[in-house]
Amino acid sequence: MNATVALLTRRSLLGRTRTLVLLLLPMALLGLCALAQVLAALDDEFARELDGALAPDLLEAFGIAVLMPLLGLVTGTGSIGPEIDEGSIVYLLAKPVNRYSIVVTKLAVAIAVVVVFGVVPVAVAGVVLTGEVGSVAGAFAVGALAAGVAYSALFLMLAVVTRNAVVIGLIYALIWETLVGGLVPGAQALSVQQWSLAVVERVLGDSAVRLGVESAVGFTTGLVLLLVTTLGATAYAGWRLQRLRLNAET
Amino acid sequence: MSETTPAGAIHDIGYRRYEGPRLGASYIRRSLFLETLRGSFGLGRSARSKIMPNLMFGVLVLLAVVLGLVAGYFGMSELPMGYEEFVFSMQVPITIFLASQAPVAVSRDLRFKIAPLYFSRPLSRPQYVQARYAGMAAALFVLTAVPLTLLLAGALLAELPWREQLPDYVRSIAGAAVAALVLAGVGLVIAAMTPRRGLGVAAVAGTLLVLSGLQGTVRALAEEFGDAAFAGYAGLISPFSLVDGVMAVPLGAESVMATPPEGFVMGAVFCAVAALLVVGCYGSLLLRYRKALR
Amino acid sequence: MSTLELEQVSRWFGNVVAVNDVTMHLGPGVTGLLGPNGAGKSTLINMMAGFLPPSAGTVTLDGRPLQHDPEIYRDLGLVPEREEMYDAVSGWDFVLANARLHKLPDPKTAARRAIDTVEMAEAEDRDIRTYSKGMKQRIKMATAIVHDPTVLLLDEPFNGMDPRQRLHLMDLLHRLGDEGRTILFSSHILEEVEQVAGRIEVVVAGRHAASGDFREIRRLMTQRPHQYTIRSSNDRALAAAVIGEAGTSGVELVTDASGDEIVQVQATDFSAFVHALPRLASRHGIRLLEVRPADESLESVFSYLVAR
Repeated sequence: MNATVALLTRRSLLGRTRTLVLLLLPMALLGLCALAQVLAALDDEFARELDGALAPDLLEAFGIAVLMPLLGLVTGTGSIGPEIDEGSIVYLLAKPVNRYSIVVTKLAVAIAVVVVFGVVPVAVAGVVLTGEVGSVAGAFAVGALAAGVAYSALFLMLAVVTRNAVVIGLIYALIWETLVGGLVPGAQALSVQQWSLAVVERVLGDSAVRLGVESAVGFTTGLVLLLVTTLGATAYAGWRLQRLRLNAET
Repeated sequence: MSETTPAGAIHDIGYRRYEGPRLGASYIRRSLFLETLRGSFGLGRSARSKIMPNLMFGVLVLLAVVLGLVAGYFGMSELPMGYEEFVFSMQVPITIFLASQAPVAVSRDLRFKIAPLYFSRPLSRPQYVQARYAGMAAALFVLTAVPLTLLLAGALLAELPWREQLPDYVRSIAGAAVAALVLAGVGLVIAAMTPRRGLGVAAVAGTLLVLSGLQGTVRALAEEFGDAAFAGYAGLISPFSLVDGVMAVPLGAESVMATPPEGFVMGAVFCAVAALLVVGCYGSLLLRYRKALR
Repeated sequence: MSTLELEQVSRWFGNVVAVNDVTMHLGPGVTGLLGPNGAGKSTLINMMAGFLPPSAGTVTLDGRPLQHDPEIYRDLGLVPEREEMYDAVSGWDFVLANARLHKLPDPKTAARRAIDTVEMAEAEDRDIRTYSKGMKQRIKMATAIVHDPTVLLLDEPFNGMDPRQRLHLMDLLHRLGDEGRTILFSSHILEEVEQVAGRIEVVVAGRHAASGDFREIRRLMTQRPHQYTIRSSNDRALAAAVIGEAGTSGVELVTDASGDEIVQVQATDFSAFVHALPRLASRHGIRLLEVRPADESLESVFSYLVAR
């Protein structure tokens, strides 16, 4: 971990446009929650639905499936992609600094941003929707954290490996995880969303069935795969950073 | 001895001015339009840049062909997925196409600050924006119209009655044109906000996806709540459902939604919003390029 | 002591050979890497900085290989060619960050010294994105010298600098070179290299075309006759005498721009001519007023090497 790298990363990550994009996501989520509360106030039956399976549905469909992947994409790639693209990464590499340390520090910054812009809003959304600081809010916050960490690590690694990291990340999160996952059950075993959902399921415990939260993978499988992905992606990113080629115009 | 130095003179060393015919501003606009259109499919660019857009194009084409084959093979009486449904269901590849190509159309000029080069030609700011906008919209139209046409071809080959197929097809083509205009506008405005290509891609995709997700969720909430009209208006949130709404009421197509917009008022609102969106995006782009000239 | 050694280094990208069998030894002092655009200068510098492994051959610093060893950067400073830096921070913050990344015991003093050396103290609190090209170059320079490296690699460092800044940088490089550091800078502008570098290494189309002091190289270019212009008290007699010498291939009597008569001599054997000239002059009683080599400039060396 390196404080200077962290500082530089934070400054370049939270630029004007990127922060705007990062804000858009949780704002949309919280807007939805506000709407749901308004509707619940107007109709009792709706309020009951909300207490039931509707809240977890919302949190899963929007929080875990849309918010976290996009956040992870923007922060994961943004924490190292532009520097490699522009060549300014040379100022970090032409130093007696361990490459793995650079990667880990950048990942930490990305995770911190994801927590602020993603995990906290999901927790708040959970509280607002269910009306209590309860197991639903907590479970989904933990799940969002798991997803955020894994996505950030994965997309940071992608950004070190290729210059088209954003598009490839999009294809993974959208086409692989959602479309293909919907059609081919096997694909769901290789989906960060499903792994995070397994974590949510476990934290909810018995109420998971009642609330309609079900993951395609078991808890142990999900947790192990999350860890393997995060650690593996980070290690590989460091290895590739060591071997990064800097050239005049590329 | 010295001579008085002569006053400065320009010597004729054989340099010739170009006195021949000059193609006018319309040629420039046409070229810019074509460059944007072709560039969106990677033509005229490096081999690597051809992969992504044509991959998405291939997905759509493949699906259209498969649908036609399935209809033929199983002797179905109608296509497994209708024309109107097709564009809406193919949101994700279309979004990815737009997300990856819109930055190519606008960010590059802004990032490398070569926009002034364009404007030192007989090309005004509105003309530049029109050419870029039209090029991107044309690319999106090709992206959707070709698969739709292949779908029609497949349907006809499967011996489905053409009297039934043709009106639906024509409606969906009109819808595709509207979708192209709306989506191109939204995509270009967002991409022009940042010179960074990666961030532009993420911003366009993120925005469209969030809007789509919002639309679905709001609609679901409204349906739970039991208010069909509210659910219908939810379609205004996402460009894809907006186009679906435009197709449903004025054009009389069958909507994809369970709670489509109905009636004159809702139809008018949808059309108005679509038109406003297109005009608004055009205006935003004009403003953006005014800044670029400094 | 710090020596950069390249032994038979080649680098290719697919079918394109960017650097072709280059052997160089860089020691203390200022060396200029000269070559036209696309000659492979940046590729060479990237290899010397450890950011590009050679496809063949070895690059070592004091015998140590450069790959996978971040510790070499304690002694190595690099001024990259590309303009982009961390735009969102101020000049001071950036140089300070670089000092900290170098794990210097007193980063603030080092940063202060570096910024003062490049004369950027006035603008140091502004964000880098507001800097002009020349200012960015100076900040780049500051980051490269903040840790007092023994080896300094500069890729087109004079790019975008105005004449005053350029003189200042040349001065700085002279000073650093005199302190015993090994400095290599690349350029395609001859005047810059001429005025700063003691030695030059010429790279043309990936090949190492020549190395050494440029005047020495000129002497080695024996296929091209040396040109001299001579003013004397009796041009015609001198011309007749000079053409009688074996080492002379041509003589011409010219009226130069200011109306004076001069003798232009083409000598194929440089040293023979130089020895013969005073002898001839004294034997014929001709007074030599001015003897000037006409083409001993880096430009002529360069154009000769490039044309080959």
